[in-house]
Amino acid sequence: MATPSVLLELRGISKSFSGFRVLDGVDFTVWPGEIHALAGENGAGKSTLMNIVSGVLTADSGEMRWEGCAVSVRTPREAQNLGIAFVHQELALAPDLSVAENIFLGRHPSARGWVRWRDIERRSRELLDELGHGIDARARVRDLSLAQRQLVEIARALAFQSRLIIMDEPTAPLTTRDAEGLFRTMRALRDRGVSIIYISHRLKEIFEIADRVTVMRDGRTVLSATPAATSEDGLVRAMAGEVLTRASAASPGAAAGSMQPALRVDEPHRLTVHRGEVVGIAGLAGAGRTRLLETLFGARGRPVKAEIDGTPVTIRHPQDAVRHGLALVPDDRKAKGLVLGAGLVENIALPAARGRLFLRAEVERLATERLVDELRIRAASIDQPLRFLSGGNQQKAVLAKWLYAGARIFLLDEPTRGVDVRSKAEIYEIILTLCARGCAVLVASSEMEELMALAGRIVVMHRGRIAGEMARHEASEERILKLATGGTH
Amino acid sequence: MTKAKRLSTAIVLQRFGPLLGLMILCGALGILSDHFLTFDNLVNVFRQSAVNALVALGQLAVIVTAGIDLSVGSILGLSCVLAAQMLKAGVPPAAALVAALGIGAAMGSINGILLTKLRLPHPFIPTLGMMNVGRGLALVVSGGFPISELPSGFRFWGAGSVLWIPAPVIVVVVCYLIFHVFLTRTTVGRDIYAIGGNPQAAMLSGVPVDRRLITVYLLSGLMAGAAGIVLAGRMNSGFPLAGSGAELDSIAAVIIGGASFFGGVGTVGGTLVGALIMAVLRNGLNLLNVSASWQTVVIGVVIVGAVLVDVVRKRAAERAQSAAA
Repeated sequence: MATPSVLLELRGISKSFSGFRVLDGVDFTVWPGEIHALAGENGAGKSTLMNIVSGVLTADSGEMRWEGCAVSVRTPREAQNLGIAFVHQELALAPDLSVAENIFLGRHPSARGWVRWRDIERRSRELLDELGHGIDARARVRDLSLAQRQLVEIARALAFQSRLIIMDEPTAPLTTRDAEGLFRTMRALRDRGVSIIYISHRLKEIFEIADRVTVMRDGRTVLSATPAATSEDGLVRAMAGEVLTRASAASPGAAAGSMQPALRVDEPHRLTVHRGEVVGIAGLAGAGRTRLLETLFGARGRPVKAEIDGTPVTIRHPQDAVRHGLALVPDDRKAKGLVLGAGLVENIALPAARGRLFLRAEVERLATERLVDELRIRAASIDQPLRFLSGGNQQKAVLAKWLYAGARIFLLDEPTRGVDVRSKAEIYEIILTLCARGCAVLVASSEMEELMALAGRIVVMHRGRIAGEMARHEASEERILKLATGGTH
Repeated sequence: MTKAKRLSTAIVLQRFGPLLGLMILCGALGILSDHFLTFDNLVNVFRQSAVNALVALGQLAVIVTAGIDLSVGSILGLSCVLAAQMLKAGVPPAAALVAALGIGAAMGSINGILLTKLRLPHPFIPTLGMMNVGRGLALVVSGGFPISELPSGFRFWGAGSVLWIPAPVIVVVVCYLIFHVFLTRTTVGRDIYAIGGNPQAAMLSGVPVDRRLITVYLLSGLMAGAAGIVLAGRMNSGFPLAGSGAELDSIAAVIIGGASFFGGVGTVGGTLVGALIMAVLRNGLNLLNVSASWQTVVIGVVIVGAVLVDVVRKRAAERAQSAAA
């Protein structure tokens, strides 16, 4: 199997995080001069695998061979020395340095401690000319477009004589035209013998650019083929796996809801949520789910015209949203949801206190204790700073503050991200109880099983737009994935 | 109520650390100097601490929001000379008082508006600008010279007494009580702590963050204006360089009093203790015949030392809390 012409070969790579197996005996091969697409759902293990290849993480077990020789890559530096470069999604450039400085950052050619700026600039110009997009080596990175910054990263990879470049969703932030330009560059590199691992969710692009495609699911490689030997449907099926049309666990509250619309908007997207209904929002990372929810909540600086229980209102900022009975459970509870240094009382009573001058300390404490009981929040006391609570209990605290504020329309963004299994089940229970009480719930999630378990209706987003909508009984992971990756309905 | 009554040493230290420091300091000075623990001297210390205590009160509210107000010293100076100039012109003391407070509040709210509505990147910038504007205006208003001989009705606020209690001490006590209630018992106070703890979460909980920040900087300016009145009364003059360095003294008092530059933490009681520690140090070192230059060195060491102690005791408290979790 290990013919000398193979560039990179991984065999039986496994990796666990705190007992949870993320990679389970992965085999993966890259040939010299090929563009190799790596696909899979969020959480399939793609990033972990690439982090192992580029030395950010170390595998628990398994073998890595580079040009036929067993190697162990323990740091990004070692990977770089072998000739492996990682072009990250959030580009790792210093915005206030020049293009040339960035290309040689950390590896300035020097003579007895003096940096040889003239060499740096000359070499940078050569590299950029080869890539042929007319980027000035002296320009400040801050002034470049995203597409140009990617090229600088690629030039950086070439400056280190990289033979394998890993690109993590490089087209996600690009316009179609810029993506075309990037593809031309990628083909040119391939023709020079450089290999590229190209992580993408976009099936069309995979068929356009890749020489080979590998699909990962649940920490294993489940398919490796040339695009010609497979089809969009084949890829989708490989990504989604066996659980294709599995009906979710019975959830009484999550039916179609009543016919009374609780929230209706035309902008930024046409969307209606009825009382007692859970509407799911599906979409891949970067599809615009968080932006949609935060916009509806007035947190994106743009006024939203909405109808709440049939009454037209304008939501200019979160204060308006709170006044109209909206609640936002943000995707990142630590950064956006909680005052971590404060206790449960301060956090839970925060949104409810609008329009009053004096605190009602006793009422708030009693209410907090009641909610702590009801939602089974585990804390040493209601004054314990939230920093010390587990993720699940923190998430329940975010929900509790909106319950106390009497919210009627809940916007939940990844409500169970980073939450243990038990809390997850309890949070589902809370959501369904809300529903049964006649609240309207909009839940965005990257876990399809979560949406299938909760939502009566699922809206699928793709690149900032609503790509389609389906009732639960007609939804399947396959159909959702197809819409989310830009396929047709 | 099931609030744990068990207080570990770490938590006692965290809550009462600054007070403990003040008591140890007073005890030590009492032993070293016969004069320190006399009634007259202690009244004197309180009187001397009043100006810094007032400025620090406003600074506390700002620091709780994770901000900083560098303009309070200049605002103090401006309110000082403005009141003096008006009194010289024959304006009744009550009107001069209102004008001094008003100019402080106005300049403070401009700081707040520059920070929030014009989105200047950090409170350092608008308040640094205002620091220069305020000092410049103080020089303009006074023509660069002190304005002395103020009417006694006005001097009362700095130099008068009620029974044995100096008027500035009464002003301090009243202001501190009001601020204590404001910060701990009102929704606006809690919003301020929430903004300091996590501005993003506060905003997404419906807290009107901009309005609260403007209020906080307004209050800081207002307190600096009040301090200007007290200082003018005590010195019996308004001089344009009054309050130079007051911004740093007030920040020192707030930090010694246990507040955090990261925001969300700080108490009115702690700030009072912080201001008293600084006044006691200056007074004590005077009694011990330590030169003014060395006093400055000691105060510098105490500021850094207080924060060091604070960092250590917070770590201890974190451990205690983690263990309880």
